[in-house]
Amino acid sequence: MSDIIAQQWQLISATSWPVLLTLAGFAIGWWIYNRSGRASLLHPLMIATPLIYFAMQIIDLDFAAYDAGNGILNWLLGPATVALAVPLSQQLRQLPALLKPLTAALLFGGLFATLSALLLVKLFGLSDIILLSLAAKSVTSPIALSIVQQIGGLTGLLAVATMVTGLAGIVLAKTLFRVTQLEDERWQGLILGVTAHAIGTAKAFEASPRCGAFATLGMGINGILTAIILPASIGLFIM
Amino acid sequence: MNRLLVGLLILVTFQWLGESAVKLLALNIPGQLLGMILLLIVLSFNKSLLPWLETASSQLIRYIALLFVPVTTGAFFLGPEILDQLPQILAVLILSTVLAQWFMTLVIKALDGSDE
Repeated sequence: MSDIIAQQWQLISATSWPVLLTLAGFAIGWWIYNRSGRASLLHPLMIATPLIYFAMQIIDLDFAAYDAGNGILNWLLGPATVALAVPLSQQLRQLPALLKPLTAALLFGGLFATLSALLLVKLFGLSDIILLSLAAKSVTSPIALSIVQQIGGLTGLLAVATMVTGLAGIVLAKTLFRVTQLEDERWQGLILGVTAHAIGTAKAFEASPRCGAFATLGMGINGILTAIILPASIGLFIM
Repeated sequence: MNRLLVGLLILVTFQWLGESAVKLLALNIPGQLLGMILLLIVLSFNKSLLPWLETASSQLIRYIALLFVPVTTGAFFLGPEILDQLPQILAVLILSTVLAQWFMTLVIKALDGSDE
């Protein structure tokens, strides 16, 4: 199994100066985001990525070279995915008390978020590559990325799709909770975590730690379920 | 610092275990995700690893947006055939989110009410 280590080392050792572009862009994005009072639409990614894109146009750097130069950051996504086990294990203690509604809502909600997206892609006549790229959009980004790499979608499109889903999710949830009079913050948290992943979870923590804990649970378990089910069943949707 | 490095080493070890197992058993799931599941199982039986993991995991999760900068920058290089379909893509994302949230609310209302 030393080839896995060799492969990872190759990724890390290709790191070079383009990583500085990323760090500079992110530092600027982080600064503006904090100055704005952490407005969702001014997320560091929303500011950093266009800045980096323009810098790349000016210095004539292509994406393959930029991406390879960021090897260490791309590599760290692996351990970051594994790290999600830590907050999830701390929240799993909450599970037994509410097992039945929690499991049902999680299972159906997570499956429905993915299935409805896949059917809508088909309905709108979009191409298979888009289907493969959007399939994991409601899952937390590190898990979504590993799923899309596994099934062969476009990672750039997925990155944007998860961001749009998360932002849309927190806006839509606010209206939904009001219209349906869903007031229990445990369920609000769960819905935010399952349908709007990390962005929804951050929003849930703003409401209360309890709401955030349920969002963490929803996000984590939905991520695991989707990663197990999706690669095995995605073939059914490809012509 | 020590805890950060030990924590990172534990995370990398579990990632390696996950990827090795996926390869050996020819499983159809992402290797790092299996690593996460394995760590979750270990942590649910034995909490002694937890203090070593807290620093590394909270820092990685805190700065996860930084790790996503290269991938997200890739969105600017998607090409016209994808960009032409952008309105439909946005419609899919928003509609499926509405449907999933509404559906979850129905399931929760049906089950939570029946327990009382």
